[in-house]
Amino acid sequence: MTLTATGFDWVRQLVHRESAIVLSPGKEYLVEARLLPIARSMGLSDVGRLVDSVRTRPSSEATRRIVEALTTNETSWFRDGDPFTALPSTVLPSLLATRGPTERLRIWSAACSSGQEAYTIAMLLEDALPGASTRVAITATDLSREMVERTRAGRFSQLEVNRGLPAAMLVRHFTRAGNEWQVSPDLRRMVTASECNLAAPLPRMGPFDVVYLRNVLIYFDLPTKQAILRRVRALMRPDGWLFLGAAETTLGVDDTWERVVVGRSSAYRPLKGA
Amino acid sequence: MTLVPGSTRPVITALIDPATVEAIAGETWIALVGDDEVIVPAPGDLPADTLSAWVDITGPWTGSVVLTTGRQTAADLTRALLGEAAPELLDHEDVADAIGEIANVVGGNVKAALPGPSTLGLPEVGQAPAVRDPDDVCRLDVLWRGRPLVVSIQGTLPPLPTPHEHPYPNGASL
Amino acid sequence: MRALVIDDSRAMRRIVSTALEGFGYETRQAGHGQGALDVLQEGYAPDLCTIDWNMPVMDGLQFVSVVRANPAWRALTLVMVTSESEQGQIVRALAAGAHEYVIKPFTPDALRDKLALLGMLPQGVAL
Repeated sequence: MTLTATGFDWVRQLVHRESAIVLSPGKEYLVEARLLPIARSMGLSDVGRLVDSVRTRPSSEATRRIVEALTTNETSWFRDGDPFTALPSTVLPSLLATRGPTERLRIWSAACSSGQEAYTIAMLLEDALPGASTRVAITATDLSREMVERTRAGRFSQLEVNRGLPAAMLVRHFTRAGNEWQVSPDLRRMVTASECNLAAPLPRMGPFDVVYLRNVLIYFDLPTKQAILRRVRALMRPDGWLFLGAAETTLGVDDTWERVVVGRSSAYRPLKGA
Repeated sequence: MTLVPGSTRPVITALIDPATVEAIAGETWIALVGDDEVIVPAPGDLPADTLSAWVDITGPWTGSVVLTTGRQTAADLTRALLGEAAPELLDHEDVADAIGEIANVVGGNVKAALPGPSTLGLPEVGQAPAVRDPDDVCRLDVLWRGRPLVVSIQGTLPPLPTPHEHPYPNGASL
Repeated sequence: MRALVIDDSRAMRRIVSTALEGFGYETRQAGHGQGALDVLQEGYAPDLCTIDWNMPVMDGLQFVSVVRANPAWRALTLVMVTSESEQGQIVRALAAGAHEYVIKPFTPDALRDKLALLGMLPQGVAL
């Protein structure tokens, strides 16, 4: 065991802060096992050294990889509910009223991880809009190549599909493949996955009608958060919608957004004239 | 049932691959035994005193999904499964019930990976049913906390006679 | 809120009850569908039933059908918790009137997620 008690405590706090997931005491072995590959990939001999390194020299990429490694199998569908159910109830009707009948709707899942968010969006649209796969394009991006490939594959384990995915949607949009579940070809057609580093100038994409930028700004310091929001806004339609994580806000970060209440959640829209 | 010479029944190895069985067992362990509890595919020698739990699958493929391990390991597994709800002293019923449920979970998921429709029987516990057809077995040997455990998916039916066999001396067909 | 946990495995009944109690539920148990109907008929009025499929005497699917046919139990939320995991089985259960379906093996978080979808997490439980 290379992780000290303070080291483990630091990891626990990090994971709770970034993902709301609680690592209970007794999970030290889990942390050691899951973080060792990250330590090795950084040229460090053990997890204790990895934690020391990240504590003394904070790195948002290392932090992100640590949280990801400890939260696999934990990613849920329809996370927090309202930001997704808002699509068919509020966002889609509003967009359809102003867009032409052949105009493509573009949605961006900007920290897509293994793809649950992108396919949650795809399922909702498929059920709400006839011919959705031809009318909607979902761009899914992530920093991690592994995550992008997983999103592209659209294949999920039994444990993963148990996490907040309504059973009726599971049977409607997935087929079993061995012990796993494969997203339907229609849904896969709607989603294009690629690598993207939000903290750097963004590739030419969009313009997007809706952006999901959930639980990723928390990894960055204030100036970077501001830069990311500016870059994201530049890729959005002026009447577009931005969804952040449940505990996140543009307040105190960027005052060029208007907050709109959506159910028990919020959306942010570019302020006119800002 | 008319036995047509040359007819074959699918054997389990043609219907499910070892990687799927490993994934099923692995996920069962993560969820039921603990998320840092690993099972490592590795050969091991089962002790002389073992306990088995199994469920029967009846359908296009008919057989049993059998879990076998040493009695002490079965008791430890029970304790891990029950966690805080584990009684001070485990009795045979506690252990049979716990490993029966593990067999139910693994068996149900194996069934779902096979061509269907099939039915799943209720768990049974005791001495493992004998292997009827050595060609109709998919066996996974694992170590849990260093202790051996076997998951055996085995067909219930004996092998079909091969075409050159003549069960009736005068060559009459059934 | 109250729950009735129905499973022929005592270990699984303990696991599910413990998880539900952690979410703020009061729980009772039954070992099969008929036993569960007896509990309901005695007057215990749960908000939620978690139901295994394969059980002796009366299986989970039959239990769901019986409950759904009785207007007195209209308000009961029925969640399957079972290792039966073929697409067809899930469809059958939903068609018979189950509201949700948890595939075994499941973690307590998965159960919590499903209850959240149904609005069945008692107030004040952190998501």
